Amino acid sequence: MGFLRQVWVVTMKDLRAEIRTKEAINASLAFSIVILLLFSFAFDPTDETMRGLSGGLLWIVFAFAGTLMLNRSFARELPNDCLDALVAAPIPTSALFLGKCLANYVLVLAVELVSLPVFGIFYNVHWARQIPELLLVLMLGSWALTVIGTIFSALTVNIKLREVMLPMLTYPILIPALMSAMQLTTALVGGTPINSDTIDSLKMLVGFDVIFTAVSLVLVETVLVG
Amino acid sequence: MSGALFSFFGSGAPIAMAAAVVALVASVVFLRTRNFLYDALALAATQAGFVLLAAALAAAVIWTHATARSWWQWDTRLTTALLCGLVYAAYLMLRRAIEEPTERATSAAVVSIFAFLDAPLAAIAIAWWRARRALPPEGAAPPGWSATAGVPAFAMLLAAVAMTVILLRREERRRALDAERRAALTL
Amino acid sequence: MSAVAVEDVWKFYGDYPALRDVRLEAAPGSCLALIGRNGAGKTTLLRIIAGFSKAQRGKIKIHGADPRETETRRQLGFLGHGIAVYDELSALENLTLYGKLYNLKDPHQSALEWLERTGLERVRNGLVREFSRGMRQRLAVARAFLHEPSVLLLDEPFTALDDRAIAVLQRLLREALAAGKTIVMSTHQLREALELATHVALLSRGQLAYHGACTPEMVADPGYIYARYGEA
Repeated sequence: MGFLRQVWVVTMKDLRAEIRTKEAINASLAFSIVILLLFSFAFDPTDETMRGLSGGLLWIVFAFAGTLMLNRSFARELPNDCLDALVAAPIPTSALFLGKCLANYVLVLAVELVSLPVFGIFYNVHWARQIPELLLVLMLGSWALTVIGTIFSALTVNIKLREVMLPMLTYPILIPALMSAMQLTTALVGGTPINSDTIDSLKMLVGFDVIFTAVSLVLVETVLVG
Repeated sequence: MSGALFSFFGSGAPIAMAAAVVALVASVVFLRTRNFLYDALALAATQAGFVLLAAALAAAVIWTHATARSWWQWDTRLTTALLCGLVYAAYLMLRRAIEEPTERATSAAVVSIFAFLDAPLAAIAIAWWRARRALPPEGAAPPGWSATAGVPAFAMLLAAVAMTVILLRREERRRALDAERRAALTL
Repeated sequence: MSAVAVEDVWKFYGDYPALRDVRLEAAPGSCLALIGRNGAGKTTLLRIIAGFSKAQRGKIKIHGADPRETETRRQLGFLGHGIAVYDELSALENLTLYGKLYNLKDPHQSALEWLERTGLERVRNGLVREFSRGMRQRLAVARAFLHEPSVLLLDEPFTALDDRAIAVLQRLLREALAAGKTIVMSTHQLREALELATHVALLSRGQLAYHGACTPEMVADPGYIYARYGEA
């Protein structure tokens, strides 16, 4: 069976399980809406301030809500020792990892795509002025979040303090990607297409994604088997 | 006098960077050989580097306040150092969270590799971010932070090596004690 | 070539040796009962053989190959303490999933067959979370046997099984042995295990205290082996 087919089997398994129980996605969505609401009480959301804050605010929401979801990624394999069965199955560990990444990616993007209109409503912001480029940034940034979150989810799966350790590890490492995504998002929500000012951030996002996807694929066998 | 003090503590920063390199190499060698000595070395180097970095950051903050009347100016070096400090703090926390020594060493080694790859990306991102923010141009680096030679740097290097050796021995002793405890618990 | 070969395996937790210079073999078609007190290292050894963890020294060979190789994993079946099936999926969905992961020609059909062989065909569309304990255990057995592995690794399989599940498992194991498959089974339940076993290995504090054929004395009095070869 081809590598991609194996990845697909793992992805569909995770998605099917999540869609059936909806535990993580409901929590994630609720969390993101609550934070958006909270921030709107904290700041005075006039159009001027929002222009400068939008990227930062959105990516903080995405990162926090996303981590809730990513925590579940390998943790869902713990009951009944399913992780053992997956590791024992004749698929490369990298296929297992990619399959989970893709499933998480879909779920994280889903939460983000719901949060954007909510953001637009609460803060009265027209966020859709540069839609294709905004979606590109969303996809690149979310992949960074997903890859780092998934590999560390695998790493922390057996730790008691998993819910604490996962954010502690993920957020600092994500900072280069988050900074870039924030800058790009602020510009794009404000209506400025990607230009010489922001192209560097885009390069950073792509570089980050490539480097850490490669490193994760190489190290995942060590993380899961030892 | 106080200038010299700032210089000494500040030189801890480049030494901490060297310690991070040592930790990375030790982590990679551990993953290849599974020899716990390298795991102990990685831990010791990270701990020593972390202490030196914390001291250097504290000194820099005080120096910044003394010279520029503000505590934190978001200059590239200091911000990157702070971020690296956070990442390595997470490494140290992770080690405490894993009970079984082999698993702990393996997971920590992986995190060490991620941390080391992240540092240059963070430095670049922060430098770009600074440029965008049109903050006042960076003043001189705090004393000691850019020194590569000189008495303060050498002194800090010796301190780092001494700390690493002490911490390494401590980790080796801890591991031996853990083994004895496990043996005692087996019926 | 032996089906399972454990060559000079050492496993350390830090500096503590959980397994010390363990060397044993299981020929194809044999059933090796791995016995020993709690904490002797049976589960550790089985997990290393299955490829879930790595020995620091020594090698494992399954039909001459490393257990982590993809082809080798296809030939291994593992039944551990956990049932390794997903609560949120149905019995049929679970087995079909594993069928796909093991690259079976017709995962759906194989899943249906094995549900029947373990007596679960009536509840095939039920979610596992609603199953009784005995049903969950039988599903775990179906999962382990689904891809017709040539080497079966079982960690205390008879513990916490109800009568029906024990009967199913014993029948399947006998059929597997008759078909030339190899079984390595760690166990406390000496009686059930020794009925099937052709060979016995006694682990004591991480070391192999006895490794040889299963004799009639052992079957008659399972305590015999502990008395004779005792604690190392």
